[in-house]
Amino acid sequence: MAAPAAATAAAPRRWRRLGWLTLGALVVAVAYVLVAFVIDWPDWVEPIARYILTEGLPATLQISAVAVVGSCLIGVALGTLLTIQFALSKGAIRSYVEVFRGLPILVTVFIVYFGLPALTPTLKFDPLWATSIALILWGSAQVAEATRGAVQSIPREQHEAASALGFGWVGAHGFVILPQALRRLLPPLVGLLVNIIQNSTLAQAIGGIEVLQAAKSQTERLTFFPPAGIGEIHAFEIFAGVMVLFFVISFPLTRLAAYLEKRLV
Amino acid sequence: MVLAITYDLWAFVSENWRELVDGLLNTLKVSVIAIAGAFVIGLLLGAARAHRIPVVSQFAAVYVEIVRNTPILVQIFMIFYALPQAGILWDGFTVAWVSVMLWGGAFNTENFRAGFEAVPYRYREAGYALGFSRRATFFNVTLPIGGRISLPSSINTYISVVKNTSLMYVIGYPELTTTAVNIAALSLETLEALTVLGIVYLTLVWSLSAAIRALEGRLALPEAR
Repeated sequence: MAAPAAATAAAPRRWRRLGWLTLGALVVAVAYVLVAFVIDWPDWVEPIARYILTEGLPATLQISAVAVVGSCLIGVALGTLLTIQFALSKGAIRSYVEVFRGLPILVTVFIVYFGLPALTPTLKFDPLWATSIALILWGSAQVAEATRGAVQSIPREQHEAASALGFGWVGAHGFVILPQALRRLLPPLVGLLVNIIQNSTLAQAIGGIEVLQAAKSQTERLTFFPPAGIGEIHAFEIFAGVMVLFFVISFPLTRLAAYLEKRLV
Repeated sequence: MVLAITYDLWAFVSENWRELVDGLLNTLKVSVIAIAGAFVIGLLLGAARAHRIPVVSQFAAVYVEIVRNTPILVQIFMIFYALPQAGILWDGFTVAWVSVMLWGGAFNTENFRAGFEAVPYRYREAGYALGFSRRATFFNVTLPIGGRISLPSSINTYISVVKNTSLMYVIGYPELTTTAVNIAALSLETLEALTVLGIVYLTLVWSLSAAIRALEGRLALPEAR
């Protein structure tokens, strides 16, 4: 009796989800038609949109991609090592996590961009890479904390089963524990991706040309008289456009994170 | 002349302590106002969301999604550069606390909504059975229990609010980060300035997290103890 009841309960949910997806696709299609064909944009819009999307967006995506990959690799490694009961390694990783979770990310960006070159001139990075590195320091601390929890949530029997199969510590974690822990890690990792994409705008503070800096410089250019600009202020329209751009990227990802959390836990 | 790389934290602090203290006071001022505002916004909109009060609830949902899905830096730019276009010209201080308050308020709305929704319905039923009105049930049942449930996550939001005041660097408001970085730009004492920033922010953040842990024990629900 239980199985058919569960099936009938699941069916409407699936239909509702399908409905939301259809609605989303419809909104995107209508928005595309409006933006591309219907709305009569003023002349200044097109070159600025082109500049932000071709110069700014790739930089934003580059910062984010490097930061996400780096954070995941370093964070998962540190988080797994954090489960070893050895005071020295535990203390070192704990302090790393607490420091970079505690510092405002902007201060970490300054440490990487201004502090490291002051220490040794060889550690000089351009603004985009400096932002990526700062986001890796922050993101890996977040991932390490999440990984520790996920690894410790795997029951003891799994460790025992792995050693019964002859796995050492590395093999047991690589083939048995981490693959199971990753399922629980997925929702926080998607959340981290959203955070990193949004915090990539911090590159603006050190002069990296990403979406926000591209938008700001174009806003300032428009206020000049011709031929450079048109002598008008359009800050609201341009920054609202930037908000829409980030919203369109982030919103599906936050929905995905919420969906994964509901399904996997 | 060769610029020798020296590191003298004490000299840096003793020369610039007046500016640094002013900066720290500005950081604390903005943080306190923004935290108080975020608390009120979160409480009101969180309650509206949890009780599905029409119009307010939908407005709150849109507000939360917009704030959560756009970078706070863009929100600051919107308030600092775009509002003047509509004739609303604020000074750095007002932009600072308004922007972090709106940001914290959105996250707090979610914290309080989750807390209020975690209160089992039978508790509220018990309130109604005792003859409490909806409002009395909220203030005597949902708020004391749900508020305690949402306290740790809302303090986490306040910690983020304190950290986000450092973003006022981009609008040049002289809080701690702006002050320290500007001093370093003139005197080239970059490492000293960054050390001061690190020590002060970590002290602030760590003492707030210690407060969470202390409060968690004291405010835990009796049944969870």
